[in-house]
Amino acid sequence: MVEETNTANFTRRAVLTAAAGAGAGLAGGVLISPVDASDGDDDVAIVKQLTGKTPVESDRVHLVMPRTFPNGYTVPLSLEIDSPMTEADHVHHVRVFAPRNPLIEVARFHFVPRHSEPRVSTRIRLAGPQDVLAVAEMNDGALLMTKTWVEVATNGCA
Amino acid sequence: MFNPTPRVQVPSVAAKGETFQVKALISHQMETGLRRDPKGEVIPRKIINKFACRYNDIVVFGVDLREAMAANPYIEFYLRATESGQLEFIWEEDGGHTYALTHQLTVG
Repeated sequence: MVEETNTANFTRRAVLTAAAGAGAGLAGGVLISPVDASDGDDDVAIVKQLTGKTPVESDRVHLVMPRTFPNGYTVPLSLEIDSPMTEADHVHHVRVFAPRNPLIEVARFHFVPRHSEPRVSTRIRLAGPQDVLAVAEMNDGALLMTKTWVEVATNGCA
Repeated sequence: MFNPTPRVQVPSVAAKGETFQVKALISHQMETGLRRDPKGEVIPRKIINKFACRYNDIVVFGVDLREAMAANPYIEFYLRATESGQLEFIWEEDGGHTYALTHQLTVG
């Protein structure tokens, strides 16, 4: 399992510089304009900024969350990736991002071939209505991404 | 929560090769570090930041949790039953304190 001691997270309007790259595996890059809009292209840009690689939208990644939910403090999330989980073809980890939260990264789930299924359910905080992104990194380094829109009525991050 | 209490729901017996479900829960406030107290001071972050499951000492599943995980973090995941042995569940809190539970699994 990848052990990271990085505790920094990325604020929604953070300007990323190479010097501020705090953890292994997080690429530094200079962001000129603040990332703000809910446009799909911006979601790809956010992921590229946070991972250093360009994700590809894939229907192998299933992110299930309620379309609307009254309570932003504990929103259910289910994640499943279609993968045989063999040594040659498996999910290494999945990162979940909430671009409209004050701190974008929500969690990273690590899977092990032949031992764990690429499937997890949990509960997260959302600051407001937004697209939640799930990005799966496969063993060959490819990033598969999907997103789902969640409308929460209360700010779970405050 | 003053005394974080971990709990796990996992079967005691599984057929070899089958997938079984694990539900892991720990009562924990998951203080995000974004709230302020009545005086206006920022309440420092204190969260469970890691969860790991070991199966006969091999790490088979892990989570890096951030501030946006909900309080009383609930994690449901699925493992393949390979052999009988011990499952260990470990939660690590900011500051290094850990909470752990173990469970014996019989695989037939």
